[in-house]
Amino acid sequence: MEGLSAELLLRIIVFGAVASGIWALAASGFSLIFGVVRILNFAHGTIFVLSAYFGITLTNYGVNPYVAFVASILFAGVFGVAMYKIALSPIRESKVMVIIVTLAIALLVEQILMMTFGEHGISFPSLVEGVVYVAGVPITYKRILTFIIAVIALISLEFFITRTKTGKMIMATAEDMEAAMLIGIDTEKALVITMFVSSILAGLGGLLYSQIFATTPIVSLKALIYAFAIVILGGLGSVRGSIVAAFIVGYTLAITISLLGARWSEFVVLLTIIAILIVKPTGLYGVEE
Amino acid sequence: MKGMKRVIALAITLAFAASLPLYIPEAFIYLLGLALLFAILVVSWDVMVGYTGYVNLGHTVFVGIGAYTAALLQSQRLALPTLPVPASIVMGGFVAALVGLFIGIVTLRLRGYYFALVTAILPLVFMQTVFIWPDIFGGEEGFTIEHGLAGSVVEKYYAALLIAFVSIAVMLLIVNSPVGLKLKAIREDEELAEAVGIDTVKYKIMAFVISSFFAGIGGAAIVHYRMVVAPDLYDIPLMLLVILSAVIGGLGTIYGPMIGGLLIYLAKNWWLKEVVDVFRFTALPINDDVILYLILIVVAILMPEGVYQGIKEKLKKERG
Repeated sequence: MEGLSAELLLRIIVFGAVASGIWALAASGFSLIFGVVRILNFAHGTIFVLSAYFGITLTNYGVNPYVAFVASILFAGVFGVAMYKIALSPIRESKVMVIIVTLAIALLVEQILMMTFGEHGISFPSLVEGVVYVAGVPITYKRILTFIIAVIALISLEFFITRTKTGKMIMATAEDMEAAMLIGIDTEKALVITMFVSSILAGLGGLLYSQIFATTPIVSLKALIYAFAIVILGGLGSVRGSIVAAFIVGYTLAITISLLGARWSEFVVLLTIIAILIVKPTGLYGVEE
Repeated sequence: MKGMKRVIALAITLAFAASLPLYIPEAFIYLLGLALLFAILVVSWDVMVGYTGYVNLGHTVFVGIGAYTAALLQSQRLALPTLPVPASIVMGGFVAALVGLFIGIVTLRLRGYYFALVTAILPLVFMQTVFIWPDIFGGEEGFTIEHGLAGSVVEKYYAALLIAFVSIAVMLLIVNSPVGLKLKAIREDEELAEAVGIDTVKYKIMAFVISSFFAGIGGAAIVHYRMVVAPDLYDIPLMLLVILSAVIGGLGTIYGPMIGGLLIYLAKNWWLKEVVDVFRFTALPINDDVILYLILIVVAILMPEGVYQGIKEKLKKERG
């Protein structure tokens, strides 16, 4: 009995770490773009899924998985910037229009993916093979790798925002766009870079996700909802809050799936968040709108 | 004099709507009835969003709750008493309003973007219930009910016309009353509204509950119209269609969203199907949804202030 519960605990720890890492990537990108440009990007989950499908397609054509991995992340970035330039930049001022357009893009891509690839789940090939046994519980290397990549990416993000010149430029734009413009910051450039970074994070999250879980077009919605939930919990616009909240959500998810079953996962996670909101309506690290 | 003109215009519109089954094929009348019920959803969304300025992305929660409440009252799944159809529709509205009251109390303390985000995840919470308890809610397929709004298609159409007319008329009276004026004050400047003594939270919640009530009525009526309840009534595409119709019609005008709702629904379910056939010879992944979303994106980029405003401004310019 004791052995069984230790095993369960270990499973929860590993699954929670992987889920937290992936959703932290998705959510921090979503939060970043909101914090800087003040747009709610409903197509964020779409970028997440699109990069996974792009990568899977490349490997199907015989491209080396490592090359495909990098190419897909770049594809995600380029897609995000193109979407921003073509569709979002002209309507940035209108809150409702941005929601409508990004939501329409999300549903459009979902439909096209559905018709092209079908509803069944597909996966990106494993970047590393092998299993390590910890106390008799098998843990695949790719799960460990996923967590490590996610942590490295999040640390790099933090470093990029707080330590580099470009990052500071972006933060200044987020703080006060007019003032940033007055001191000679090219704010439009800052927004484009932000969109690029945000999309890269989503793309990376999607690739890591599809390496472990079966990916379907509907995953875009799932990624979006988790990003929402995490960002609401962490506080809109706060990247650090998103990362903390991602771990809360990831572990709530892991515990729910292990104890109640997968079909309860979203329900319990979202109820938890709503319960927290009743106590603290602005999230853990809320910033001014 | 103006009032008289309005009554005459209304009478003509109603007479026209009532006469449609005389010269329009039944398949189209069926769609028209659904479009009328869909218009209730759009107008009820407008009562909240167009008049208070709070973007509610969870409107389908209330559509779904109304729909499932009414459907469960018409089946033996929960051993609930079977109500007559009109009573189960009204019950759908009341349960939706009750849930709206609770959600409103929690979420309307939030401002702007938070409210939009929190309401955006709500439909998914409620949709999950359908999959968690398939024995009650019928899972992905939903379930059928026995008693519809009426027997024949034409009778159903008249029932839908009646429900839509009464619902929209009541909502119109509310927004044109002093309550509506206070809501507009909140939309224009919430702090100022508060400063002049309007209990903004109370009025926002009131608008939200009214909006939820009619969404529930609409959802329940749709279920009794098509005889099937399914999770699509909670789903995101329906939400987008509602937002789209309201924005195209012009937010905060009631009439605009009503007309937008009718046109968009018919365009999607009738006209677009024929457009898709044109593309059938190509191997491209195109269906009616793809075309709808493409049009939507292009229109939004070209006329970011909404089609209604866009056309109005164009006309103004042409007149000099």
